[in-house]
Order: sequence, then structure tokens, then C-alpha cells
Amino acid sequence: MERGRIVMEDVTLDYRLYHDRAVTLRETMLNVFNRKTTTEHFRALDGVNLLVEPGESLGLIGGNGAGKSTLLKILAGIYRPTSGRAETGGRIASLLDLGVGFHPDLTGEENLMLNGALLGLDRAGMKKLVPEIAEFAQLTRFMDIPVKYYSKGMFMRLGFSLATAVDPDVLLIDEVLAVGDASFQEKCYRRIWEFRERGKTIVFVSHDMKAVSRLCRRVVWLKDGKVVLDGEPGMMISEYLESSRRHAPETGTSPREWGTREVWFDSVTIRNGDGVPARTFRRGEKLVVDAVVKSRMPGPVEGVVFGFSIHRNDGETIIATNNLEMNQPLLRVDGSCRASMEIVLEPREPGTYLLGIALTDPVKSKDYHWRDYFYPVTILEERRDPPLLLSGAVWKQE
Amino acid sequence: MLLLMESLVSKDLKVRYKRSIMGFAWFLLKPLFSMVVYYFVFTRILRFGGAIPHFPLFLLTGLLPWNFFSSSLTASTSSLLDNHRLIRSIYFPRMTLPAAVVAANLIHLLLALCVLEAVLLAFGRTPGLSILLVIPALLLFTMMTVGIGMLLAVGNVFYRDVKQFVEVLLLAWFYSSPIIYPLDSLGIDIVGSQRLLGILKWNPVSGFMEIMHSVMYAGVAPRAWCWLSLSIWSVVFLAAGAAVFRRMEPVVVKEL
Repeated sequence: MERGRIVMEDVTLDYRLYHDRAVTLRETMLNVFNRKTTTEHFRALDGVNLLVEPGESLGLIGGNGAGKSTLLKILAGIYRPTSGRAETGGRIASLLDLGVGFHPDLTGEENLMLNGALLGLDRAGMKKLVPEIAEFAQLTRFMDIPVKYYSKGMFMRLGFSLATAVDPDVLLIDEVLAVGDASFQEKCYRRIWEFRERGKTIVFVSHDMKAVSRLCRRVVWLKDGKVVLDGEPGMMISEYLESSRRHAPETGTSPREWGTREVWFDSVTIRNGDGVPARTFRRGEKLVVDAVVKSRMPGPVEGVVFGFSIHRNDGETIIATNNLEMNQPLLRVDGSCRASMEIVLEPREPGTYLLGIALTDPVKSKDYHWRDYFYPVTILEERRDPPLLLSGAVWKQE
Repeated sequence: MLLLMESLVSKDLKVRYKRSIMGFAWFLLKPLFSMVVYYFVFTRILRFGGAIPHFPLFLLTGLLPWNFFSSSLTASTSSLLDNHRLIRSIYFPRMTLPAAVVAANLIHLLLALCVLEAVLLAFGRTPGLSILLVIPALLLFTMMTVGIGMLLAVGNVFYRDVKQFVEVLLLAWFYSSPIIYPLDSLGIDIVGSQRLLGILKWNPVSGFMEIMHSVMYAGVAPRAWCWLSLSIWSVVFLAAGAAVFRRMEPVVVKEL
């Protein structure tokens, strides 16, 4: 295997997930005996093919849980693929978690010597590197102090200097460049840049697209454990950002409807204070949700809770309450009924909000019918006259 | 790999005695204290060690290696979990973790045994050439300890119960091993029946303890069954430990 080359052929990696479903102590005990804890396999990487030539600088992008870190761990030799072949040529420096091998009670120098061995350096070689590492980390004066007295920044700086001091053929970086203050971060980038110029292979995982485009000449986009696209950074990043913009609102606040529908909203009308169907409201105006609620249960259904929620556009819940919480009469649905609720809002910020409504029975823990983010309602900016009031004015002359 | 072991061991030794007044002396003090306790319990309260001459010295010859064995196993059980961040962020031969723990304890044992030998000399128990047999015996015993340690370390990753279980196991193991009593004619008075004595012989640590007692305390050559038992158990445990560790390693790393 050539130094600095990375080969991945049809690499798959599964994790085992444990679902502890036990809620009560009794269930916990039963689980112990029945071994009912369900295990499930989660495929973190799914048939990944990747060839990185020596000297390439590759950025890995993708959402959370796309498999970026898992891929990096396979390249570092930490995980073995469940199937497929993965090989990394030459000496690897993995910047996945800085300073992990440090023991708090040992001094900076002792820790460097110990960690040098973990990275596969011999004692003499490490001894030579210590002053250099200390200098880069700007910690020369602190090398004989136990690292537990270091600040977080000092600790990370030492970790970074150590990880990059070993002259690797392949540098694996996982979002660790937020090290220390701005000037040290700049120094870190310069050092990584230097590696790139010297023809070392770099694999860089980050959510920071600016950093990726700065450092990488090639970008691979992972999604659900698969390579979606592989290409030149400029195009890939804009494609990626475009797609995350497209997807975010859909998954976040797209209208959602679910429930058992034993009792359901047959029709819903939203009216203003004058009883006219409306979606825009003035400040302080009454909002009325008028609904025909039906039941397919034999006999009357008692104790139905009628609730509503109001969300900001980004999905953040602002208000959520119901007739039970507000000590108002609960619904009794016998076949069909009309129900309404009147909401008076005092908005601090005009704009469009998402109204959701629900029929539930918390006593029987039943969700009959939910409509979340369903009705966009706009609260208008109200023109106040006069816009200013004079509360005082003073004239003086000395 | 050797260098890594050496570094891990030296870290272990350095860290263990940071901020302690007695420091390194504890490796001797601990077995010494337990020797005093057992001595008083067994000669003053239970009255059974009286038949064994220089009973405290006899106790020490067994307690020192047992101390090594039990603290090695306890520490190696948690060795993988304790280092989970390290394991998940760089690659290195993980087998070194339980092995280094045992090695650090072995250094303590060697030093303690030297001190013990000096004490034995002071009491007029001059060792014969057979003292050299301590070396192969220790080697085999260490192999066994590493093997069991690896099994426990892997087991503990999947079931945290292993750590609790080890404590109980060690307690039972201690009393069923010839540490505070011998397995020869003198032991019959203590153990009670010849049959039970025969069963205890096949306890994995019996062979080693008997060798230590014969070589260091009694100054005679150990009997053949001791070597046989010790060798078999050592090879079995080391092979099983290494095989299981190797096989489970990829799973363990993900599980941590």
C-alpha cells in the first residue's frame, strides 16, 4: 500500500443499538429473565467506495448521523468494517479527539512521552520532538506541570501539537479545529496547510463549509451512510447547502397529521372576531377555531381534551394548552358535535405563526387526532395613532 | 508494542503513587497488614495456623502473589472501559491495556518478593538452588493472569455485572486456594477431608501457590502435579483470553 493512499471498497459498518423498553421496575425485572431487550442493527455506512490518492485533501460533508465520523474512524483503524475492505497507507495522525491519552496527574512532558508511544514513536525520537511540540503549543514554560492544572485551551493546544508533530502521511481531522484562541486556530490552519503543501493526504470532516472550501480540493458528501456526490468543492458545497435549505423546513414545520381517529376533526374553520373566516388578525383580535368533531365509537365519548399550539415559523413552540389545563369543560362527543375555542392573542412580534389543534384523552393516554403546524395565521402590525406620545421636555439656559 | 507496554506500565506506576505519603511502600504494606490480620485471626481466634512454623512467613509467601493476582484482575476488568475515549480516538494494540495493568502489578510483586526473601533469610530460611524455579513459575502465573484479565476486560464491556462478579469470585477463590493453608499433610487438619484436598488441587492457582510455598518458604523442590496444573491452566487461560480478545476486539470498540 502506497503511503498516503486510502482505499475503501464497498465498506459497510453496522452498530448494535439497544432499546431498553422497560419503564417500570417490574418490566425491568421481567426483561432480565426474558432477555427481552431488543437489539437492532443500525447501518452507519452502506457500501462506501472511496479512493484517495496521496496528497489529496478531501472534505467530508453531510448532516448529523450521515456517517462522517464513522468513516474517519475506519480510516484511522479504530473500527473494522462489518464488510468490505478499507486500507490507509503509511503513518496516520488522527485528530478525532485531542489530548485523550493525557493523564491529568502527569506533567506535560510525561504525557508527551507516553502518548508518543501510543502513536508508535520510539523514545529517542519522541525526546527530540518534545521541545518542538511544547513550542508550537506555546507551553514551553508549563511542561513540568501536571496537565490537570492546564486550562482547556492549553490542554487542547498540547493535544493538537502532539497529534500533528509525528509527521504523518495521512491526517484525519474531525471538527477539532476550534482549538484555543483565534491566533492559535490560525496557527493550526497554517500547519494543516503546510501538510497539504508537502503532499500529505488530508481527510477533513466539518460542518464549517468555509473551512472545507478553504482546505479541500475535493469534497465527498455523505448521506445516510452512502456517498451522494463526490467532486470539486465549490459546486458540492453549494449543492449541499441548497439541499439542506430545501429539506430543513419540510422536516421541521411541514403540516403533520396523526392519531387514532376514533374521534376526529371533520371540518375546521378559523374565523375572526366578527365570525368571518380569516387567516390574518389584528393585534388583540379574537381568533375562533370552529370545528365539527365526529366519533366512530359506539356511544358517547367523554372527557375529550381539545387543545391548540402555536409555533414560530422555525418550529419553536410558543404556546400550547387545552381546555383541561385551562379548567374549561371537556368535550363529550356522541356521534357528532360542534366545538369551538376562542383564543385571544397578545403578540409581541407580528408575523406568521403556525397553529396546530388536537383532540386527545390524557387519562386513557390516547391521541385521537393531531394537526400540527397546520394553519398558518398572520398577526398584522398595527398602526398606532399617534405613533409617539410626549412624556416630557425641558428647556434650560445657564 | 514493547515500548507501548513499557510506557503504559511506567504511567501506571507514576500515577498510582501521586499524592500519597507512603507512596511505593504500599506495595509491601498492604500484604503486610493483611498478613497481620490473618495471623491474629488464625492463631488467636480460630487457632489453626499454630501447627505451621513461622506462620506469618508462610502467610506472606502466599499473600504476596495473591495480592498481585487479585489486583491485576480487578484492574484489568475495567481497563478497557477506563480508556474508552482513547480507544475510540486512536488506533493502537488494545491488548496492551489489560496486559500493562498486569505488568505493573508484576513489578510490585517482584520487589515485594525480594523483600520477603530478605526476611526469610533473616529467619534462617536459606533458599536452595530451587529458588530459581520462582522465575518459570512466575512467568506461567503471569500468563494465566493476563489471560483471565483479557477475558474479564472483554466481558465487562458487554455486561457491567462482571466487575461486581469479580469481587465475589475473588473472595471465594481466595479461600479455596492454598494461600493461608498448605495442601500437604498439615493442610488436612484445616481442610478436613482428603477428598476435598484433592479437588482443591485442581484450582487454577493451587499449583502456583504450592510452588511458592515449597520453593520460598519450605526450601524444597515443588511436586510434579504443581507444574502440570500450573502449565495447563496458564496455557488454557492465555490462549482463551487472547483468542476471545482478538475475536471480540472489533465489536468491543463499537460497544464502548
